[in-house]
Amino acid sequence: MTTGELLLGAALCLVLGAALGPWFPRLWLALLLAAATGALGAALPMLAGAGPPEWEWRSAFAVGGEPVHLRLDSLSALFLVIVSFVGGASAVYSSEYWSDDTRPVSAPAGRLWMSSMLVAMGLVLVASNGLHFLIAWELFTVSAYFLITLERESRAARSAGWLYLAASHGGAVLLLGFFAAIAARTGSWDLGPMRDHRDLAPLFWLALFGFGVKGGVFPVHVWLPSAHANAPSHVSALMSGVAINMGIYGMMRFSGWLPVPAAAGWAVLGLGAAGALLGIALAFLQSDLKRLLAYCTVENVGIILIGFGGALVGVSHGDAPWGRLALAGALLHVWNHSLFKSLLFFGAGSVLHATGKREMSQLGGLWRSMPWTAGLFALGAVAVSGLPPLNGFVSEWLVYLGLFDAAASRGSAAWMLMPAAIVMGMSGALALATFVKAGATVFLGAGRSKAADDGRECGMRMLGPMFALGSACLAVGLAPVLFWPAISRSIEAWRPEWAVSEAPAPIITLGWVQAALAAVACVAVAWLWRKRARNGLRRAPTWGCAYSAPTARMQYTGGSFSGIVASWVPRISGFSRILRRPRGPFPSGATWIEEFPDTVLSYAIEPMAAIVLRVSAATRRLQHGRLQFYVVYLLSGLAVVAILVWIGVKQ
Amino acid sequence: MIIALESAVRLAVWLLLAPLLPGVINKVKAWVAGRRGPPVLQLYFDLARLWRKSVVMSTLASPGFVAGPAIAWVALAGAAMLMPLGPAGGAISFKGDVLLLVYLLALARFCTAWAALETGSAFGGMGAAREVSFAVLSEVALITAVLALSVQTGNITLSEMLSLSVGSGAMLLAAGLFGVLLAENCRVPFDDPNTHLELTMVHEAMVLDHSGPPFAVILHGASIKLLLFAVLLSQVVLPVGKLSPLAGTATLAGAVLAVTVCVGLVESLTARMAFRRVPLILTASFLLCLFALLLALKGGA
Amino acid sequence: MGSTMNLLIGLAMGLNLLALGSGRLSAIIRATAVQGVVLGVMPLLLEYTFDWMVALVALVTVAVKGFVIPSLLRRAMRAAKIQREEEPLIGFVPSLLLGAGGTIAAIAGARMLPLLPEHAGTLLVPGSMASILTGLILLIGRVKAISQVCGYLILENGIYLFGLLLIHSTPLLVESGILLDLTVGVFVIGIIVDRIQRAFDSLDTRKLTVLRE
Repeated sequence: MTTGELLLGAALCLVLGAALGPWFPRLWLALLLAAATGALGAALPMLAGAGPPEWEWRSAFAVGGEPVHLRLDSLSALFLVIVSFVGGASAVYSSEYWSDDTRPVSAPAGRLWMSSMLVAMGLVLVASNGLHFLIAWELFTVSAYFLITLERESRAARSAGWLYLAASHGGAVLLLGFFAAIAARTGSWDLGPMRDHRDLAPLFWLALFGFGVKGGVFPVHVWLPSAHANAPSHVSALMSGVAINMGIYGMMRFSGWLPVPAAAGWAVLGLGAAGALLGIALAFLQSDLKRLLAYCTVENVGIILIGFGGALVGVSHGDAPWGRLALAGALLHVWNHSLFKSLLFFGAGSVLHATGKREMSQLGGLWRSMPWTAGLFALGAVAVSGLPPLNGFVSEWLVYLGLFDAAASRGSAAWMLMPAAIVMGMSGALALATFVKAGATVFLGAGRSKAADDGRECGMRMLGPMFALGSACLAVGLAPVLFWPAISRSIEAWRPEWAVSEAPAPIITLGWVQAALAAVACVAVAWLWRKRARNGLRRAPTWGCAYSAPTARMQYTGGSFSGIVASWVPRISGFSRILRRPRGPFPSGATWIEEFPDTVLSYAIEPMAAIVLRVSAATRRLQHGRLQFYVVYLLSGLAVVAILVWIGVKQ
Repeated sequence: MIIALESAVRLAVWLLLAPLLPGVINKVKAWVAGRRGPPVLQLYFDLARLWRKSVVMSTLASPGFVAGPAIAWVALAGAAMLMPLGPAGGAISFKGDVLLLVYLLALARFCTAWAALETGSAFGGMGAAREVSFAVLSEVALITAVLALSVQTGNITLSEMLSLSVGSGAMLLAAGLFGVLLAENCRVPFDDPNTHLELTMVHEAMVLDHSGPPFAVILHGASIKLLLFAVLLSQVVLPVGKLSPLAGTATLAGAVLAVTVCVGLVESLTARMAFRRVPLILTASFLLCLFALLLALKGGA
Repeated sequence: MGSTMNLLIGLAMGLNLLALGSGRLSAIIRATAVQGVVLGVMPLLLEYTFDWMVALVALVTVAVKGFVIPSLLRRAMRAAKIQREEEPLIGFVPSLLLGAGGTIAAIAGARMLPLLPEHAGTLLVPGSMASILTGLILLIGRVKAISQVCGYLILENGIYLFGLLLIHSTPLLVESGILLDLTVGVFVIGIIVDRIQRAFDSLDTRKLTVLRE
């Protein structure tokens, strides 16, 4: 089948799934998986170089007055792979996690909106007309809103949904301006490479923030933590693993097609560095497992932007080769981040499913009842911390190579790229701390509540997708060279001058070294395990420093784990600490509450929103319901129009 | 064949020589204090004994309690194989191997901290929390030092980066890296390896619940890490790679010994500091590396 | 000559950071004293020929900044029984980072200034700016009078370094300026320390606010 037929088939399956899904869950799952397979079948040959490098389809048929124009090139194919893979995985996961038996009302609605969100994201990726792009974008936004608020009874989910909707529409206004300005300057809504239009360069700023809102770019990430934390977990995985990539796709797509201003690279790099550091610092301080993962998304978007910014700087420095390395890292990190982040959100979802709790200080010791989930979460934790031999390291390593090469060349770019490298080092160490905290508090030690003791392993339809994602993480880590063609073709689509076919030598060596390390580590673990059994093994309670009545509450909690870093946080960040010490010889109780709200949200966005609300409330006074005054408004409105007409005629 | 043989010899040298360093440090400390002290080979005896002992595991611990030390040890040994040894170079050398080395150290930290939290002991939590939090600052200093080296030599391959000495910034970089060495290996003034008060320990608190072969693996891994940093520090200051094989090996061995003696002297002459002062010293290490980086940048322009 | 001088000024910059990062008053006093000595010998290095007048000025500077003032401060410290700075208004790590950032900015900024070619290669101007900044950070961020006096001394060292730029054009003026400065410094510090000690038996400037009216 040709690319076009596959894509059409996938779209038809999804539309059919949206129409029939609410009533036939099994049929819906089959249709969705068929659609995912179809889309993968269209995208993968293009990335592997087996198919044509680009698929384009124009039709005279007009939607909204514009002829349909679709296009799939390697860059959009790279993102389409993620949409189909993670989309399919999260559909399978949802069939057990959010099943009709437990959620008779919201599960059918969830199936409808999930199909529509997937089809909308596919359309965003193939649309090559500004108007259709905006329509698909809006459909995607609205479907995501309904998915976030599936659990309508929860107040937190409702307010998270509203914040998401408001932020997304702020971004959509910018995008409307962006596409309208392109249409006004070029005379058509049709999109495509137009690098010769130098006058389009300033539009990059509109795109950066318009797409940045969706992409979770600091400082317009404010909606992301609460939306990703309060959505159902399969939706969180879809949002964090796929939906934010749409924002990144938009930035990459239009910085490739349109000329960019000279300062673009610096701005992207700066935003990326700020997001990487602040995102992971806030993640480390969170006590809610899903909120922690959500802030970690802000960090990973930051790393992607550091790589992407490095590429933009490289372009402006005479197509420096280090720019290509940084871009390769950024593109590979898009894939890697979706893989491990959705794996981690699925893990968090399984924990939530089994215990009903997201608060880490009430969990613990879950490895005994959920060994597979624990193992897969640990795998994801190693990957997201960017540690060898898994996939996170490969992409971060490529970004580092770009930054270090730039520094070693000592050009003028070195001054800006070096701080980015240092920031990445710091955020890497913080990510490690964050995920040691998350994994260990949730899965190790003793349970801190009854719910944690009563956990049970989830079924195969929740574990299966996690296995698929985990093995993908492992595959990218151990054989990165297999994935290089996809990356190099996407780079070519972004900037044809940077086309290289064969993989750079270090990445081949790195793959071998990582594979060897993994193999040796397996052997060492097995050996030590056997040695332990042979020498004789005794199980005993944990040593409690001779204290005779230890309880699970004496363990280190997540909050105490991050206490040292919390003490470094400056007071101006707006955190709150409530401390009530135990008093007297027979203390009745003590309190220690520490909260780290989003500084940008509470210091910048909320005051601004408050002003807008106050202005709106003031104008509402005009709307009082008295008919007499409405007649006065009508008359005065007519009078104003009359005066305007009169002035117009006189001129 | 020759490559395999060479790698095996290299690995044997690393694994066999590493436990010597803590012994030398203890000897220096004893010498300064006027004691006779334990034999230099004490750690070898300890390791041999631990390897034969049986294991006590907490009822709460998962298989990760054993897997963690094993993976950490593999990571440290792998990092050691990447480190060039003077004229002999590294076992594997490729562009960007220095970053793999830094991240292998991080992997070892992840596994040790993970295994520390397995038992649900508050001491394990304390030690792991301190380790990963202080590592945030020492990682920044380390990355800055690597940047300084790569800017100085225009290269990001370890064997090339270490073949030249850093020039004017070498002393600054060496001082900064020495601070990182002390912090990463949990020596005085950041941590006291001999302390017996659990509340003030960092590394020792993490490994409190380990015993038998897993504990031996942890101790051996820690000594590899110490040797790794000593070798790195020596090659940052001295252009060992440019000397003839014999002279290079002798110089490297002498420099590593000098670094070890310095650690012992620092340990004898200073007291460990309060935890809230640790970030200050690590920030100072970072600043030293940063100034070395700026000097390297300015020197080339 | 130029490289020795740069080394000394580099040392002084390092001492600035040491003073910013240390919490013990004795360490700050020592850093200030060593900086005084290091900078005191600078006029000898700047002169092409040996000159008795310059040598005398250098000797007096070294003696006063390196020994007289520090011993005064140490005595005050002993009398008031305070050892360390406990809760600075600007923490140690932030002030260290500020000082380092300021030093880098001073080096970068000095390149943009229109300097004489003979001064362009030296660290005189950046060293002077960095010391002034350090002094200001100490004056703003610390609460103990002794650290503030040290801040003042470091600030004064910065001004002194700046004055050295003129030593070739107006030697006598600079030298007498240095001596005058020293005299005033000794008097002011002596009087401050003495008064505070007598009035409060403590050197915490936060307690001085009762004298507001």
